[in-house]
Amino acid sequence: MISAAPSLATDAPVTERVLTVRELCAYYRTRYSGVRREVRAVDGVSLHVDRNEIYGIAGESGCGKTTLIKTIVRGIRPPLAIAGGAVTLRFAGRDRDIYALDQRELENIRWRHLSYIPQSSMNVLNPVRRVRQSFVDFAYRHIGRPMPDFLQRVESHLDRVRLEPAVLDSYPHELSVGMRQRVTIALASICRPDFIVADEPTSALDVVVQKEVLGMLHDVQQEIDSSMILVTHDIGVHANVTDRLGIMYAGRLVEEGRAAEVIRNPRHPYTSNLVTSLPRIGDVTQKCGLDGAPPNLADPPPGCRFHPRCPLAMATCRAESPPLVDVARGHRVACWVTAPPTSPGTVQ
Amino acid sequence: MLSIVRDLCRHNREFRAGALLTGFIVVFAALSFVSPYAPRDVYVVPPDLPPSLAYWFGTTSRGQDVFWQLTFAIRNTMLFGFAVALLSRLISIAIGMWSGYKGGFVDRVLMSINDTFIVIPLFPLLVLFYFVMRDNMSWPLLALAMACLGWSYDARLIRSVAMSLKSREFTQQSVFSGMRTSEIVLQEHLPYVLPIVFYTTMNNMNWSIGLEVTLSVLGFTNIDTPTIGVVIYWANQHTAMVAGIWWWIFFPVLFVVILFIGLFLLAISMNEYIDPRSRLARMGGMRG
Repeated sequence: MISAAPSLATDAPVTERVLTVRELCAYYRTRYSGVRREVRAVDGVSLHVDRNEIYGIAGESGCGKTTLIKTIVRGIRPPLAIAGGAVTLRFAGRDRDIYALDQRELENIRWRHLSYIPQSSMNVLNPVRRVRQSFVDFAYRHIGRPMPDFLQRVESHLDRVRLEPAVLDSYPHELSVGMRQRVTIALASICRPDFIVADEPTSALDVVVQKEVLGMLHDVQQEIDSSMILVTHDIGVHANVTDRLGIMYAGRLVEEGRAAEVIRNPRHPYTSNLVTSLPRIGDVTQKCGLDGAPPNLADPPPGCRFHPRCPLAMATCRAESPPLVDVARGHRVACWVTAPPTSPGTVQ
Repeated sequence: MLSIVRDLCRHNREFRAGALLTGFIVVFAALSFVSPYAPRDVYVVPPDLPPSLAYWFGTTSRGQDVFWQLTFAIRNTMLFGFAVALLSRLISIAIGMWSGYKGGFVDRVLMSINDTFIVIPLFPLLVLFYFVMRDNMSWPLLALAMACLGWSYDARLIRSVAMSLKSREFTQQSVFSGMRTSEIVLQEHLPYVLPIVFYTTMNNMNWSIGLEVTLSVLGFTNIDTPTIGVVIYWANQHTAMVAGIWWWIFFPVLFVVILFIGLFLLAISMNEYIDPRSRLARMGGMRG
């Protein structure tokens, strides 16, 4: 179902960077009865996505995945606030800082250039509105065509995700979970956006439906020639769909590279543990988890945020935060032990 | 909508009874349009006659036929309740949804006004209102005054629903796709709130009818417009109970009680339709 992704070396000049995130920091700032708290959910993340590429983000719950992509689509609400960094999106041949756009420009780029499938996206459809009305509410204003044209297009687009036009006249509760998910995928891609951000689009589905939905997501993405960020904690999904994969831990990107490379040859100790925790058929070895729990992001540990749980931790790890360094072409790792900045493998 | 009514009729005893009682009252009120007497005319029939075949509900000491007088009274009372309910619904929807959706400062200001209205004692306020207006008092004016006092409880109820809707994904998606606040509230949230509004409408009608009857019986309204309360007021003025003219008081009370029970049954069956959990709780489904 999934064709081999074309090889996209990150530094090849032919590729076009659709999204660049530079040193992005997003904090939840709260103040209850005089006590200030600052949860550093995303802390200094840099990444980029090329045209026609699926960029995967993986990591455990609470590591900042969702916060990161909410920040990328500028879907933030207080108490979440941007503390630094920039998100640059390339559309219509120009690079634009998404936080420099005014409200009107922002409305214009949404859906046409940037669409978002939020977490638990099955609840995206209003339970008291028919599916057709949801399409009209969300997408009609962005498509700039008369209503009959728009509805025609919706119908033909639903056909892409193998849904009958009759679905349009149903209420969300009349559809199965898989159908609703396909409706939201159709909704997000109806305007042929340059960029789709999908937050756990398949986590509520069983594996059979999941495979089908992922295949469709991938097909639609290929067909309308857009790029995508796909967030899920399911490494199996990444192995199948994702071109490049970023691993997040405690608000930071700890490893990034071609998906197959990261999964087959993980360099960061967290990634290694994540990958070895995957069950494989025929594998009878006892799985053991890491000790400890992910850090409290309101009070993260000094140095490398993984050091309290890391089996390889050394003195430097406790004192200083490791930078992301290239260990191979397009493979970046932030670890003092496995990828020291002075190691011979460094290409800087 | 029709199929909902049909299903409720078929499966819900309370709805059936409520619809029957309310329907009876509505038909009775509609008879006022074919009344042979004008509502304010007095001494058109022999006074103080007990119920008979010629005068079904008897006649009053003022020479009015109680049957036809009641058709006007119940019509005015029902219209009054409906007008108050409608007006106060508009206020409570507007305030509740705005406050719930906006939150923050707007919410705090609106809710402190709301809570003020909840704790104000309404009855003395309405009596005061009557003494200020005196001869200018008319039932549209009284309806307006009561609508301005009767929105607060339901505004809080609607606010709580709006707050929950605000945090749902589809709201976030609406904001993301650039819908204006007014569009989100009216198109996405209002359909959700409307069943609750229907339910509270019935209760609000009962509340306003009860208050209006109380005020009228004591003579604190325009006593020229026949309402159930006004009919009882005149009966009291003519010491009907002492004189043994029981039918002058009995029939208005009976009819207003029928209307009350009808509306109440409609309200609780509507509640069951909106929230099946209340039905489960009564069946013991929640505990079992």
